[in-house]
Amino acid sequence: MYVVEVVITNKRSVRDPEGETIHKELISRRGYANVKDVRSGKYLEFLVDSQTPEEALNYVRDICHKLRIYNPVVHDIKVRLSA
Amino acid sequence: MPLSNDELVEIHGILGREPTKAELNMFEAQWSEHCSYKSSRYYLKLLPSDGEDVIIGPGRDAPAVKIFNNYAVVFKIESHNHPSAVDPYNGAATGVGGIVRDILTLGARPIALLDMLFLGDPTDQHANWLIKNVVRGISDYGNRIGVPVVSGMTWFDKAYNRYPLVNVACVGIVEISKLVNKVPEANDLIVIIGNTTGRDGLLGSSFASKPLDSSEDYLNNISAVQVGNPLIEKLIIDFIVDITGLGVVKYIKDLGGGGLATAVSELTADYGLGATIVLDNLHLREHDLRPEEILVSESQERMLLVVSRDDLKVVQELLEKYGIQYSVVGSLDRSGVIKVYYRGDLIAEVPAKALAKPRIRLRDAVVPKHFNELNVEVRITDIPEVKDLRKLMLKMLRSPNIASKEWIYSQYDYEVGIRTVVKPGYGDAAVLRLIEVGDGLGIAVKGDGNPRYTYINPFRGAANAVAECYRNLVSVGSKPIAIVDEVNAGNPEKPDHYWYFTEMVKGISWMAQELKLPVVGGKVSFYNEDLSTYSPVKPVATIVGVGTIANIKNVVTFDLKEDDDLILIVGTTYPELGATEFLHVYLGLELGEVPLPRPSSELRNAGFISELVRLGYVKAVHDVDVGGVAVAIAEMCIKGLKGVVVDLSKIPNRGCSRYEELLFSETQARYLVEVGSEVLDSVVDLARKYGVDVGVIGRVVGNELVISYDGHILTKLKVDELVNVYENSLNELMS
Amino acid sequence: MIKFPGTNCDLDVVWVLRRVSKLEASSVWFTDFRVGPWDAVVIPGGFSYGDWLRAGAIAARSKVLDEIREGIRNGLPVLGICNGFQILTEAEVLPGTLLQNNSCRFICRWVKVRFYNPRGPWLKLVPEGLTTDMPIAHGEGRYYIEGEAVVSGKPLIKYVGNPNGSAYDIAGIASDDGIVLGLMPHPERAAESELVPRGRSCGGLHIWLSIGESLRVGW
Repeated sequence: MYVVEVVITNKRSVRDPEGETIHKELISRRGYANVKDVRSGKYLEFLVDSQTPEEALNYVRDICHKLRIYNPVVHDIKVRLSA
Repeated sequence: MPLSNDELVEIHGILGREPTKAELNMFEAQWSEHCSYKSSRYYLKLLPSDGEDVIIGPGRDAPAVKIFNNYAVVFKIESHNHPSAVDPYNGAATGVGGIVRDILTLGARPIALLDMLFLGDPTDQHANWLIKNVVRGISDYGNRIGVPVVSGMTWFDKAYNRYPLVNVACVGIVEISKLVNKVPEANDLIVIIGNTTGRDGLLGSSFASKPLDSSEDYLNNISAVQVGNPLIEKLIIDFIVDITGLGVVKYIKDLGGGGLATAVSELTADYGLGATIVLDNLHLREHDLRPEEILVSESQERMLLVVSRDDLKVVQELLEKYGIQYSVVGSLDRSGVIKVYYRGDLIAEVPAKALAKPRIRLRDAVVPKHFNELNVEVRITDIPEVKDLRKLMLKMLRSPNIASKEWIYSQYDYEVGIRTVVKPGYGDAAVLRLIEVGDGLGIAVKGDGNPRYTYINPFRGAANAVAECYRNLVSVGSKPIAIVDEVNAGNPEKPDHYWYFTEMVKGISWMAQELKLPVVGGKVSFYNEDLSTYSPVKPVATIVGVGTIANIKNVVTFDLKEDDDLILIVGTTYPELGATEFLHVYLGLELGEVPLPRPSSELRNAGFISELVRLGYVKAVHDVDVGGVAVAIAEMCIKGLKGVVVDLSKIPNRGCSRYEELLFSETQARYLVEVGSEVLDSVVDLARKYGVDVGVIGRVVGNELVISYDGHILTKLKVDELVNVYENSLNELMS
Repeated sequence: MIKFPGTNCDLDVVWVLRRVSKLEASSVWFTDFRVGPWDAVVIPGGFSYGDWLRAGAIAARSKVLDEIREGIRNGLPVLGICNGFQILTEAEVLPGTLLQNNSCRFICRWVKVRFYNPRGPWLKLVPEGLTTDMPIAHGEGRYYIEGEAVVSGKPLIKYVGNPNGSAYDIAGIASDDGIVLGLMPHPERAAESELVPRGRSCGGLHIWLSIGESLRVGW
């Protein structure tokens, strides 16, 4: 069994109003000037029955693409094994 | 580059030299179909747009029509089809953002949204994904800006499986004396407010002005994806409502298609002015944007204000209170030329009028080959007798086009603003009370369009859409005052696609003229094509109309109210089964002659219905449209939770020989009404006076819908069963 | 009414307070808000800061909430409607948390509610067990609390027919003395009969009549 993490964020060239608002209205406004940027996203965890970690990662990547769990036009995804 | 060779030659001629990169971008944006309407302007002149209550007609970002007490209603429709095909969530959301900002340009407070959606088959995986995300996009954006989505329509057809049509309309109101409509003058300042300008949405209009090429291109179209920020939009709404009250802004434009370039060019051209723009002043999101990108970026939630130098301070204070970013990017002058500077260099110098209005492109229109195959006469003798009417009725009510759209509208906050008197699902139109205008005053709003009709016969289909909108407004007790239209068509460079556009415009013009409904604004969306088949997705004309209500207490919904009341049909029924829902559900066919548009009957019958409502004679009114009398009477039972016994032989008709024609024909200009038996005589007398055909076709009784013909029962359906099928069908399809 | 960036329902509440409660009411921009001049405060519905991060999370960190906490200590009646309720829970002025609806979808519809242990200025005229109707319109309305002990005995508003999976069917909750009330349904949308759908009752009316009387003669 492998735990595969998927993090979905907007592509860099696409706006992220949620991240921008959290940065501007919450963090900067409260004086935490060392935070230069905030990006928001969606986090999913998949428990996958698989022989190897690579298989598990590919399996999840394929699912995310086929079922449109993310929209490749707008989103980037990071698919990684849980530590 | 979407600019054609002769357009490039023309630009060279206008400037007297080769254009700079910035100038080329400005021309490409402004001369795109989406911004310039070069393929459509010629025909759009046919639309009747004047009326004594029209204060501002087509030409500005939104029109204004007088209603009561020195108030005007400002409303408009827009489509966001291309972006929604690629990114349905953001495409639909930014569609809402854009149309709301158009209403704001006159200083109106937006009070309602309508969505008219043409979506694919919910059982198709891709279409299902598009549907879910389009609705979620509208919901998330509309809800956040606090404008209720009160009405709309949804049509499901597999033609839209990969390419939805998303038409959104917004209605606002403003005191006439406060309309932001002063003349911009030389020396006035140009202030850009709202979101920072970024790389997103670069050349989005030119994107919308060509066909989507292939699926790889989806990923390459990334720069055309725009993401909205409804928080900034809401702040802009609050700011504009306040600033309108103070009267310190002369003129407002939305930065939409073509961004800053288009807004400045239209503003200067309309008033014979020129402008000097210093791009360095504009507040940006990314600092590595090239100046030619800044000029045409279509970043969302940005507006242009024209402010006199004396009033700037007040405007700045209010912007700062709301935390809205802004920059003073330039000023107006009398030169007639737009000059753009960046880092001290003059990067563009273009005559405003030449930029704003490219030459009209007269395109060829040719009747498509399939026209004759589709427009065959459908005769009842060709149709096998319906053996199981019960099964057919249930199948029709289950059909996504007919079934309750509650799955959709319950995702929209339709109550915010505490104006929504007739809520979605109960009336032929939405009704809003106008609490700021006066007690008891209100407006009705509705949007309509039927792609089955327009695909088979665009002239008739478009004319019927106008008539249907008119009937829906009349049904709830309002007086229709004006409409706006959105024509969605295919590739204008293909003559058999372009033909649809010309026919739809002619249809709208004709019916609007006959009904004396000014078409005060509208939009045209071209290049709507299914990329896998290169055929146009079914073209459709969407009409949004507004009606006034002098007394909210007289408003009528269509749910049946009382046992023993009588059901009357108003209007004559003809054997018109062509292009009906019946034909589609029963025989899987979409062909036949589209029901004939009947403008004089519409006027006569509407006058009669309005009088009945005014006299308080009717307890429920329902317009008869898709699905004919069958669906109309079923819906009245379902919403009222009451049964009815109907005798089809009592339906006044000409030429009908079998009951199917009476039950399912989609003849225009008809209504069903519920009246107390004590007023029947008065109603019949009044009908005679109006020259209107009425028939007493049924009675409210029990808990079953009983359909009979001259004493012979054809079928009985329990209301509970009807409710179950009608209310749950879409829920089941979407989960 | 305290208006945050993204607050939508402030003018609706002002209207009802003037028309139904017959009280003076105004919408005040959050940076201008001071408790001083006011006898009661409403945090109305909407989407403050776009509901980003979590509904009400960003507004709850505003200095305005310090003013409100101080006001409450001095007996200031505070009402949080929908987003206002979310803000009050995020600011820990009321117990519990509002999470995403079970259905994961925004729901707009009328629901039946019942009042329990009505106390305090906002519920003064509400009889125990009153069952009535109000509309909801939210995506994050599922009330969550660890253990019933925290809520028992407090004035409560419960759903009759839970639409979103709220713990113990809680639609609204007040402080022990009823001074602070938070609820997800919108009472300002159910205070005038012309807005109430056929077959439903005017459920918000009681709250507005209560505060009107409470501020005039006490509670």
